[in-house]
Amino acid sequence: MSDAILVVGAGVAGINCALNAARYGLKVFLVDDTPSIGGMMARLDKTFPTNDCSICIEAPQMYEVDNHPNIEVLTNTSVKKVKAVAGGFDVKLATQPRYVDEEACTACGACVAACPVSVPDELDGKVGGTRKLISIPFPQAVPNVMAIDPACRSGQMRAQGACVGGCAVDCSQCRECPIALCVQACRKEGKDAIRLWQGPASRGVAVRGIVVATGIRDARPPAGLYGYGVHQNVVTYTQFERLMNAGGPTAGRIVRPSDDAHAHRIAWIQCAGRGLAGGVPYCSKVCCMVAAKQAIITKEHDAAVQTIVFHNELKAYGKGFWDFQQKARQLGTRYVRARPYDVVENPATRNLIIRCEDIDSGRLLVEEVELLVLSTGLQPSDRNEKLARVLGIDLDEHGFFKEKDPLLAPLETKVPGIFLCGGATGPIDISESVVQATAAALKAILSGRAGRVESAP
Amino acid sequence: MSPDARIGVFVCDCGSNIASVVDVPAVVEYARGLPGVAFADEGRWSCSVDYLARLKEAIRAHALNRVVIASCTPRTHEPLFKASVREAGLNPYLLEFVSIREQVSWVHRDLPAAATQKARDLVKMGVAKAALLEEGAEIRLAVQQDCLVIGGGAAGMTAALHVADQGFHALLVEREPRLGGLLNRVAAVAHDGRSLPAGEIAAQLAERVTSHPRITLRTGAVIDALAGYIGNYQVTLRPAGDPEGARETFAASTIIVATGMQELLPAGRYGYGADARVLTQLELEERLRNGAVPRSGDAVMILCVDSKNEQRGCCAIGCQVAVKNARALREQGAAERVHVLYRDLSMLKGEHSEVEAAKQAGVRFLRFPDERYPALEERAGRLVVRVHDLLLGRELLLPADLLVLTPPFRGDETVQEIKGLLKVSASADGFFQEAHVKLGPLDFPSDGTSLCGCARGPKTLKESCEEGIGAAMRVSIPMQRGFVEAAGIVAGIDLSECEHCGQCARKCPYGAIRLDEDKTPSVLQALCKGCGLCAADCPTSSINIVHYTDAQLLAQVEAALEEDAAHKILGFVCHWCALGGVDMAGVSRLQYPPHARLIRVMCSARVPIKLIERAYELGAGGVLVAGCEFPPCHYITGNYACEKRMQRAKKQLAKKGYDPEKLWNIWCSAADGPKFARAMHDMVERLGLAREVGADGR
Repeated sequence: MSDAILVVGAGVAGINCALNAARYGLKVFLVDDTPSIGGMMARLDKTFPTNDCSICIEAPQMYEVDNHPNIEVLTNTSVKKVKAVAGGFDVKLATQPRYVDEEACTACGACVAACPVSVPDELDGKVGGTRKLISIPFPQAVPNVMAIDPACRSGQMRAQGACVGGCAVDCSQCRECPIALCVQACRKEGKDAIRLWQGPASRGVAVRGIVVATGIRDARPPAGLYGYGVHQNVVTYTQFERLMNAGGPTAGRIVRPSDDAHAHRIAWIQCAGRGLAGGVPYCSKVCCMVAAKQAIITKEHDAAVQTIVFHNELKAYGKGFWDFQQKARQLGTRYVRARPYDVVENPATRNLIIRCEDIDSGRLLVEEVELLVLSTGLQPSDRNEKLARVLGIDLDEHGFFKEKDPLLAPLETKVPGIFLCGGATGPIDISESVVQATAAALKAILSGRAGRVESAP
Repeated sequence: MSPDARIGVFVCDCGSNIASVVDVPAVVEYARGLPGVAFADEGRWSCSVDYLARLKEAIRAHALNRVVIASCTPRTHEPLFKASVREAGLNPYLLEFVSIREQVSWVHRDLPAAATQKARDLVKMGVAKAALLEEGAEIRLAVQQDCLVIGGGAAGMTAALHVADQGFHALLVEREPRLGGLLNRVAAVAHDGRSLPAGEIAAQLAERVTSHPRITLRTGAVIDALAGYIGNYQVTLRPAGDPEGARETFAASTIIVATGMQELLPAGRYGYGADARVLTQLELEERLRNGAVPRSGDAVMILCVDSKNEQRGCCAIGCQVAVKNARALREQGAAERVHVLYRDLSMLKGEHSEVEAAKQAGVRFLRFPDERYPALEERAGRLVVRVHDLLLGRELLLPADLLVLTPPFRGDETVQEIKGLLKVSASADGFFQEAHVKLGPLDFPSDGTSLCGCARGPKTLKESCEEGIGAAMRVSIPMQRGFVEAAGIVAGIDLSECEHCGQCARKCPYGAIRLDEDKTPSVLQALCKGCGLCAADCPTSSINIVHYTDAQLLAQVEAALEEDAAHKILGFVCHWCALGGVDMAGVSRLQYPPHARLIRVMCSARVPIKLIERAYELGAGGVLVAGCEFPPCHYITGNYACEKRMQRAKKQLAKKGYDPEKLWNIWCSAADGPKFARAMHDMVERLGLAREVGADGR
């Protein structure tokens, strides 16, 4: 039987699963289909209810993963094929090229400076974050290596000024590139780490168990919801998190996308889109605490900022959560029980005018704010469907992975030897993800071994 | 200073985080001139994989034998740099960490000159200590493959099964005569629209436990004594309720605590205890389970009784329990009308469908205002609940033949005792405190001890079982490896001047110092946590702490106060909370005066009076000792010991003619940056230090 396990997804759940199994002595293949491990947690500013700096507590774990002799980190990698064999699985992994030699690149940044094209960053675009076509996902990324946007090499970015992609011959045919500015810059540094001709690679691994830790993503608001996508100063809660973040596009200045001005009056709308077409139908569990956290941090940046949270049922179910929510109130955050029915923009000021009925008082309210944050909830990863097909396991009606028997066999799927943890199972917070990841590690360690143990005297 | 010290100083830019405020090249240049420094370098991102490679290369190329890192904070990045130093072939205890981002650039943004001067001083202090650093070593302890599981509810049984399934041995101890815990009282467990009788689940788990060849089960037994440490526990059991009963002793290497929880009975609330018609949810479930609910016309449930108030927060599962039970009352035909009175319905994930199902079954939900709880009246022998319905905006009178209260929970009554035996903390409601709420949810601070299930806080069956498996994983790592490594920051006693007073043994919070017949102390290093309380109070200064010796701390004090002492605040901060507060002030970019030169100690109890006196002698403008906010202390009661010592220090200082008002204390949580920043402002103002530092370009 193989002494290895495969962990799919390298956010905080996948990382903790890998660390537990590796410390136990198993070999772990930790794969993620993005260029860095870290997942959602690496993009957060703080964690509730202690306001720990998110990357500060996750980065040491990421580094340990990267340095652990039992863990092999495979980024840009997805699971292509899985075959059940005696005692485990034969797995085929496919690695998409990052067009950079992982061993040679030292992330010095010379290529980034040379790259002529800036594009909006995936998560930060709305709040002003940009990246070059060659970039590092975030400063603490692991591996700490550049990656080239595939759109650049395929010619899709020519109109934006990309230096390559216009040749008659495809990049994969050349072993030299006289055009690419990043290649020149890298050579000037004496590195020559850029490999525009790199192609996908595949490899097979044999494992005794598989843990699915594909995580969650923030739900995008349905088109036009509360003016999102129409009015500039309406952002999602994850975009706001990037605004607060000292490592974010505004270096932690909480400013409005329309004019880069400091926002003095900010509102959150909880359960935004919930139950509507395009919105999530379930409670996402974390948003109430996220709003409390964001209000507290906003107040810590500047106590004079006015903060209002429009909420539905308030959740404060975890340890220390209630006190944390009370702290937000004590710092002056107004909690209004209401689901606003209308948001319009004041065209002169770009402020948002929110209309709602305060359910507690029965009065109609009109509130004008400078920045509006939509707490849109959490959705399953959009890659779940494909992975479920490859693994032969089921998704629930929302697209989260389905446990075979949540009560009697938590974290198990219908395929013996394949387990779930973290956001793959549904909306979840960091601490619950770590619990499940720890449990799933042991499940995977024990898988394939159960027969032997049961028959032992 | 060690004559052969070759110190390498690595100063980080942190991109622009440090370099935009501090003149890093100037600090590097300054470091090069300090005694013992053989190499100094500037790094753009010192924590990046490529710079770490460069650091390792520099250690080898320049034959460095001490390393000073000046960058962010040791609280997050020390393990990383320690590992790199180790990979370069150097003992990791030869690393000293200096914080110039959280303590300098982030908090003195508009004072670049003063910030640069402070960074220079901090590097100088780090170098002074580094020159005296000595090699240390983790202490490796053998661990056998046997685990004590305390508590035989769902979490404990699941944990024991997962320990035993690996081939390890589990000793499962349950106080009650039978396994099952709360599952023996609950009627049904619902999840995702499916409901299972709790008794069946308990029976299934219990059957697997009792038939498992590697689980030793003791029901009706409690812990009488528990001593030792990971790899070497001795546990003595005795029959529950019989203090004189026969003892049985076992050895265990690891421990899982799964002691569960109990309802916090709402004595005197809504007639509970006096009126048989008033039940708690759990009492109702026992009746539902036995089919013994008296048929009634009207049932009323009140949620959040004694929770979500100033004493405690949300009970976490009351809403789900109430919805499940309300539906059961209707479906079993036990009540004609069921009203659920709530504040906020805390139904998570997809649980809202259960509310819909309950509504379908005829349950009515009614919301009352947070500050206006329902009141109970008795009219013509009938209970009547008077409630303000928020949606209708008016008061309603609901008759109640059955009134069900939803109280919060508390930890088991044995928590106080176990807390003492294991030297761990618990909340006022008796829920154990985990090592880290986010990343260490199943761990106690000491290796090989884990917690799970409702002993941590109220949770569902599914979550309890997940935690049981997770706790089994945590304790299995040392059992599988066969050893555990304890951190090397431990006490050592030099017996040459020891007066055999025995104070150290009495004061050690961990019982790590043992006395022999003539009161000669010795340290059981595997038990020592390195707080340094013993060292600071030793009358002959015979005790030292690896990495925090008196000489090293003194060198830092003297380096800090060599120049311009009158305008400096010399501070001692504990690693866990106070430094956390300092870091928080940094992360929050709170701006405060740049007078402080901080020295890290593991616990505020490490700071001896003689060091404070030395700072006074050198003319410090102020002295600060900062520890954990009361009550929690990472070392149980170190902050209390420190507080007492500071009172003594003030008296001694006054006697010697010093101004005791220059000695300040703060007790600061790791989340309380503003408190530290405020203390800095206040000290500077009240001690009249506000001039020049920075203003004159220094």
